[in-house]
Amino acid sequence: MIASFRGETLKSRKRWANWILFGILLITLLLFGYVLSYVIFKNPPRNFQSPVPASVLIRRDFPENLLPTVLSSMSTIGAAIMIILGSLSTASEYGWLTVQTILIQKPGRVAVLVGKLLNLGLITLITSVVALGLAALTSYLLVSIDGSSSAWPSATELLKGFGALWLQLAVWTAFGMFLGIAFRSTAAAIGGGLTYLFVGEALIAGLLRDTPGIKEILKFLPGVNGEAVNASFRLSFRSPNAATQLVDASRGSITLVIYLLLFSILALLIFQRRDVTAG
Amino acid sequence: MAQALAVETHGLTKRYSTGVLAVDDLDLRVRTGEVYGFLGPNGAGKTTTLRLLSGLIHPTSGSAIVAGAVPGSPASLARLGAMVETPAFYPYLSGRDNLRVVARYAGVPKSRIDPVLKLVDLTDRAKHKFKTYSTGMKQRLGVAAALLKGPDLLILDEPTSGLDPQGTIEMRALIKELKQGGRTVLLSSHLLNEVELTCDRVGVIAKGKLVAEGTVDELRARSGGRTLRIHATPLEQAQRLLESFLNPDQVRVIDGSLVLNVDPAQAASINRRLVADGVDVSELRVDEQSLENVFLQLTEAPTQPTPASGGGDRSGKVEGNK
Ligand SMILES: Nc1ncnc2c1ncn2[C@@H]1O[C@H](COP(=O)(O)OP(=O)(O)O)[C@@H](O)[C@H]1O
Ligand SMILES: [Mg+2]
Repeated sequence: MIASFRGETLKSRKRWANWILFGILLITLLLFGYVLSYVIFKNPPRNFQSPVPASVLIRRDFPENLLPTVLSSMSTIGAAIMIILGSLSTASEYGWLTVQTILIQKPGRVAVLVGKLLNLGLITLITSVVALGLAALTSYLLVSIDGSSSAWPSATELLKGFGALWLQLAVWTAFGMFLGIAFRSTAAAIGGGLTYLFVGEALIAGLLRDTPGIKEILKFLPGVNGEAVNASFRLSFRSPNAATQLVDASRGSITLVIYLLLFSILALLIFQRRDVTAG
Repeated sequence: MAQALAVETHGLTKRYSTGVLAVDDLDLRVRTGEVYGFLGPNGAGKTTTLRLLSGLIHPTSGSAIVAGAVPGSPASLARLGAMVETPAFYPYLSGRDNLRVVARYAGVPKSRIDPVLKLVDLTDRAKHKFKTYSTGMKQRLGVAAALLKGPDLLILDEPTSGLDPQGTIEMRALIKELKQGGRTVLLSSHLLNEVELTCDRVGVIAKGKLVAEGTVDELRARSGGRTLRIHATPLEQAQRLLESFLNPDQVRVIDGSLVLNVDPAQAASINRRLVADGVDVSELRVDEQSLENVFLQLTEAPTQPTPASGGGDRSGKVEGNK
């Protein structure tokens, strides 16, 4: 397990695709989550209409709103990037047939996959820390430029927010990893994962969230539960478009943990039993 | 502690989910310290067998012991180095980094990397990415990776496939080198002369079944040894006549000549009967049975054992001594 974890970290570190994904995630967060919104709210277009004035909305970019802003900015793009990362980590091994090479070293199949899971866990941990850290730095810079003052969230809030971010990134990574093993093809795993994310979660859960029968099903979707967790970190002002959540935050967290375990265990079961061949 | 057998299988059988019966009731015995050639035409089931022995796939029935333990178990894998089907590495990593990954998985110190790179003559290109390697270099990196553990048993699946003549010669020399220190090598090939040049013993597999096993000389000797080659006109008439008093299995037409799998002492009487029937015999000679013919004979009709000679021995299976 430690052996395969060490092998995995080396592979991940040297793989360009991972760094590109990491870069895209951070740039999206900082540029669209912070800089662009700051510029727009600072100089609102003439036809800007909102129940909350731009001078209040701009506070989402300040330290007091670090957690809700990071969590909402990361919820979709973070999920997408992590699905791709997770898919690549397993599906590529089938594409290159390297799964065969690592399975004929010493560790058994369970140890090989647990090592992979640990490595992905480490990657999502680092991603969460760096994303929060850079967002904090950016919000500090923006509030300084603005000349306003803003309080940081408390240490316990920060810890909870960090946990919420890590948990969600981990769930989506595990989802991608599971798809990679199930489909043994990067294209199928990434295509399937992103389609689910954008059609299943974003579109259907967005449009049909108040339809009675469907609503009950939506309560079990990972994205819907993640959103509920994110919503528990409130903005410092009353947000105009805060949707009501289908589940509460604690149920949301538990559901996410269950998904994390479910994807990992399913991946393990398939990986352990299935024949490894080129065909 | 050395065991007598490095690989032992009992009724090993693999039917893929597609329904293909790739390995059928295989009993294989590879002795410690030998170079064993696993010979068979394409699609015979060589790679499938080697996948079973490395634990990559699970047998449908039967069992195997590889390097003293169940295939795929950490105990077995620890003493096994293998390259199955094709050298599979990370294209974005250099040759050396690929070996670092493998070394980490195998739990061996990275100090072993340079020696194996040197052994397969890849030191100069170790910094370059795997995807830039030629077939021969990929193949050699595969051997290097299999050697990292310093394994007691080395499994190589068609190690010379895709290599140019120069690369083939180098690979053969390498295999000879690998045998030292009591190491067992199990290599597969679809080329006879390959096996003849490198292996102590040979197992011939066709359609998933082991059809013969023994040293190269034993195979040659027990599969008829010599044949009678006859150039006769009209060919069809001669063939019909011969088949009427010989076993039809013993009569074949190769390159416009009749090749008879009979005791050469029968040459004179066969000639008399042909001439008496009005057939022109322009050439009649005794051929040393080439290994190629043995191979073809063994793998042609693999569902039933091939008659080994015109004599009494009807079993195609050639056992090693004792
Ligand atoms: N993954 C697979 N799924 C289904 N059939 C396979 C698979 N791999 C090989 N086969 C079939 O099994 C038989 C033996 O193949 P293989 O073991 O690769 O032979 P060899 O290595 O001797 O050329 C062939 O008929 C091949 O088509
Ligand atoms: Mg093969």
